[in-house]
Amino acid sequence: MSQEMTASAASAGLPATDLSPAERLHVAGLHTAGRHYTDAATDAVLSVRDLNVRFNTENGVVHAVRGIDFDLRAGKTLGIVGESGSGKSVTSMAILGLLPPTAEISGSVLLQGKELLGLNDKAMCQHRGNDIAMVFQDPLSSLTPVYTVGTQIIEALTVHNPTMSKQAKEARAVELLGMVGIPSPKDRLKAFPHEFSGGMRQRVMIAIAIANNPRVLIADEPTTALDVTIQAQVLEVLHTAQEETGAAVVMITHDLGVVAGMADDIMVMYAGKPVETGSVDDIYYNPRMPYTMGLLGAVPRVDVAEKSSLVPIEGIPPNLIHTPTGCSFAPRCPLASDACLQGEPELWPVPGGAPGGTTVGTTGGGLPHQAACIKTDSLGLEVDVREVFKAPAVPESRFDAIPRAERRTVLELRDVRKHFPLMKGALIKRRIGTVKAVDGLSFDIREGECFSIVGESGCGKTTTLLEIMEFHKDQDGEVVIGGLSNKQAADAKTKGAMRKELQMVFQDPTGALDPRFTVFEVLSEPLENAGMFKAQIRQRILELMELVGLQPDHVNRFPNQFSGGQRQRIGIARALAVNPKLVVLDEPVSALDVSVQAGVINLLDQLRAELGLSYLMVAHDLSVVRHISNRVAVMYLGKIVEIGDVDSVFDNPRHPYTRALLSAIPVPDPVQERTRERIILQGDLPSPLEAPKGCNFATRCPVFAALPPAKQEKCLTLEPELAAAPAPTDQQFACFYPDGELDEDMLVVHDTH
Amino acid sequence: MTNLNTVDPATVAEAKLETNDVVIAKSSIILRRFLRNKTAVVGLVIFLALTVFSFVGGFFTSWDKETIDPFNIGMPPSAEHLLGTSQAGIDLYALTVEGTRISILIGLVVGLVSVLIAAVYGCTMAYFGGKVDKVMLFILEALIMMPALLVVAVATSGGGNGLQETLPSWLLLIIVLLVFSWMGTARLIRSLSMSLMSRDFVKAAQYMGIPPRRIVWRHLVPNIGSLLVLDITRGVTGAILAEVAFSFIGIGIKVPDVSLGVLIGQATSQVSTFPWMFWVPLAVMFLLTGSLAMMNDGLRDAFDPNSSSVGSARKSGTKTGRTRKTQEKAV
Repeated sequence: MSQEMTASAASAGLPATDLSPAERLHVAGLHTAGRHYTDAATDAVLSVRDLNVRFNTENGVVHAVRGIDFDLRAGKTLGIVGESGSGKSVTSMAILGLLPPTAEISGSVLLQGKELLGLNDKAMCQHRGNDIAMVFQDPLSSLTPVYTVGTQIIEALTVHNPTMSKQAKEARAVELLGMVGIPSPKDRLKAFPHEFSGGMRQRVMIAIAIANNPRVLIADEPTTALDVTIQAQVLEVLHTAQEETGAAVVMITHDLGVVAGMADDIMVMYAGKPVETGSVDDIYYNPRMPYTMGLLGAVPRVDVAEKSSLVPIEGIPPNLIHTPTGCSFAPRCPLASDACLQGEPELWPVPGGAPGGTTVGTTGGGLPHQAACIKTDSLGLEVDVREVFKAPAVPESRFDAIPRAERRTVLELRDVRKHFPLMKGALIKRRIGTVKAVDGLSFDIREGECFSIVGESGCGKTTTLLEIMEFHKDQDGEVVIGGLSNKQAADAKTKGAMRKELQMVFQDPTGALDPRFTVFEVLSEPLENAGMFKAQIRQRILELMELVGLQPDHVNRFPNQFSGGQRQRIGIARALAVNPKLVVLDEPVSALDVSVQAGVINLLDQLRAELGLSYLMVAHDLSVVRHISNRVAVMYLGKIVEIGDVDSVFDNPRHPYTRALLSAIPVPDPVQERTRERIILQGDLPSPLEAPKGCNFATRCPVFAALPPAKQEKCLTLEPELAAAPAPTDQQFACFYPDGELDEDMLVVHDTH
Repeated sequence: MTNLNTVDPATVAEAKLETNDVVIAKSSIILRRFLRNKTAVVGLVIFLALTVFSFVGGFFTSWDKETIDPFNIGMPPSAEHLLGTSQAGIDLYALTVEGTRISILIGLVVGLVSVLIAAVYGCTMAYFGGKVDKVMLFILEALIMMPALLVVAVATSGGGNGLQETLPSWLLLIIVLLVFSWMGTARLIRSLSMSLMSRDFVKAAQYMGIPPRRIVWRHLVPNIGSLLVLDITRGVTGAILAEVAFSFIGIGIKVPDVSLGVLIGQATSQVSTFPWMFWVPLAVMFLLTGSLAMMNDGLRDAFDPNSSSVGSARKSGTKTGRTRKTQEKAV
């Protein structure tokens, strides 16, 4: 190991001289493989060569990043895509020198021709925040809570511009805040981070990152923690920031939709290695590595109505303690043959792919289309990814044929409300207002259908679920589950009967399983409670394991011995244990990786068809909702603003909020992303205290903004009721001007190419 | 179900389970992890040896803690008195055996019982919440603010005369120590079980209609179990040290009862003249508390699922390695 370190140190210190024969060969091979980009490397602001990162752990050496090469030119965006654990973040941290000293880093990172690897922390500080800056994933924890936002921006300026005057710094800070779209930036300078919402904090983070006009901006999952509408805003800000500074951007994400519109080049990482690189069009329209194909097929599309199963990628990424002897993806690859296990494939240029990418309008300089697969040649355009990955057939439910009106109602909500009093005062509390978390909700779910509630966080989706699960007599409004009303009887017996009808699957599969229970105990708990006998329980558990696609002999493992997707399957099995009619799904796949998510969604779909289940799902990912739901309700500030059949709501949204939500969803299709018009909503969800008198949505409404004042009056004073749209759909929406013009200011079209 | 000829899939799978050794029982994982920590094993051995010594040590000498040897008063170690004698002419070996036993007894009783009280009190607070929680918390805070030292002094010397006549001084000390030792743990357990109450798996159990008592017993207690075990060893150490300290300043164990603290306290005035009288009980006390501290570290490693202590002893190969990885990811 030490020998390797000295070798890497030598190569880092004296590039291209003093190399061992093997390394010289490698460099030579690299150059022949990509001659065109060695030329490009001269004008690249960031070029990374053969980056390797190893961590020493108790289990052995984890080789987290295994040889990454890329060049990034000013004003270009590179998207790094991969599952969690594929080494994306470690790569960015290694470039910035933020890894702990125990990590072994070798290779070369040139920032404007200067070697960054091997610099000590002090020397690195010259570059960090100055030439190269980073936007982190979690905006809630990356700002110091005890300093004002202004102080933190000015701090970033002071460190790198000691001579700058105080006035100049303040002026620059105001300018930056304005640039990232924070209203009245001068006053907000003195605000503390807790006075900002998550999206605003991420904007501040971006302002700090671009404060010194960096040449390279690294964004590590910058929008993962945010709502879709806020995500659209932040992506827009990132776009402006890049235009303003001309910086090169490295965008790290697991969401193929996010990068489709942003990136020029894409690098797909798997097990610490790039497995496919190329221009964005190459990757999305002509993927040549089965992993990339699988990832693309695993993403549900919000813009496609046609029902088809998603592509699941079975298995889990390899453990990087052991150097893979064959292709690292082979164990999960449906096309793997013996040849795949003979040595790990290098990145080969894809035949037919023009050097420098095929993107129309870009000339050279981008990443060449390369794939690390020995079967690259045979994986042309004509290969159907669904066949390759053996995606299951679309399951048919016996209820699909019966008209909705003739099916039995399994859940009905009538005017359910949940208001929280807002109290103030230390000794004597007085009521200063009411938070209307759920405000008069009515809907019903029929047998065999999946009903989804969507909306931004804070709109009352989860409160609605909790109200249903609570099932209490004193609730405001009526909840009827399988014919049992909460008003009629709420004694233990009725409740027990209700619990058999209704079960829940939680968002976080790890938190929902007691870490000290084996799977057997987890599954037997509801069965024991239902009064089943031991032998029956054992048989039922084995049935359940099979039903959710787990190996029956895994029953006495602990939850932490499973992967995230498998844990969610256990959660589903537990919910199904007592044969409920209705399963409540609270963001069932949002904590899972894309490839695993597809498997769980397929499972849910299949169970609905086979067992005739009904689902009530809460989700913020509209693509997932579109894929799995039959009906959908859009919620805003505790109210349903639009409800109806999923296809009619998504294809023909009437309420401006639905339109905005739908347009905020990034589509994994670069051409469409570049050309489509999107509505960027202003601001965040208003605080429930300041809820407007008339239409809740008026403060952010793009239609409202474009209305003449005479018509605006109506929106501000009257509350729109849910009204049925003209037949034949059963769509209902709450808006006075559903066909109103949209405000120009809130529309954005990217025209980058 | 009724057809006996069909092969029950459960039995088939079970047969499979018995033959495969992939699944390791939780207890054996804990034991294995504990044994992997050599310091902790040494600590355990020392502690067990001292306990055995305190019970059977008396058989190896003809002297006891009350017999005075008038010919050997304040004599250094010799063939007749292995560890010498005290100023009163009592065999120091016999005294040390007796003192060790009293100290371990006090430590174990106080350690175990105070954690038990703390667990019951803390869980009750967390489970009921609201008003009950507020009142119980007030009592707890009041006890924390009470000057324990004064109460011990009054109870064991001045005030409770009646108590002193009916109870031996070590039992009185145990009671007083118990009253003042459980509050910190109780508060910790309260906050821990409160956070557990809001975890999804507790919610899941509630939504399944599991009765609250079962939830507390099956979900709450096992999940704070490792903390309880840790707190027992910590409580034992704390109690031994408190006993030594109180006895040292003369308000704990009263002669004729002996404890390590009494022995140390008696010898401090003449450390230079009779060094053996001071160093022998001090060394035993150090071994006692030191061994517990060593064990504590190993116990934490063994129980805490997030500890980084999983090391080299993975003979079964990659299976557990992957487990660790997923576990870390989950955390």
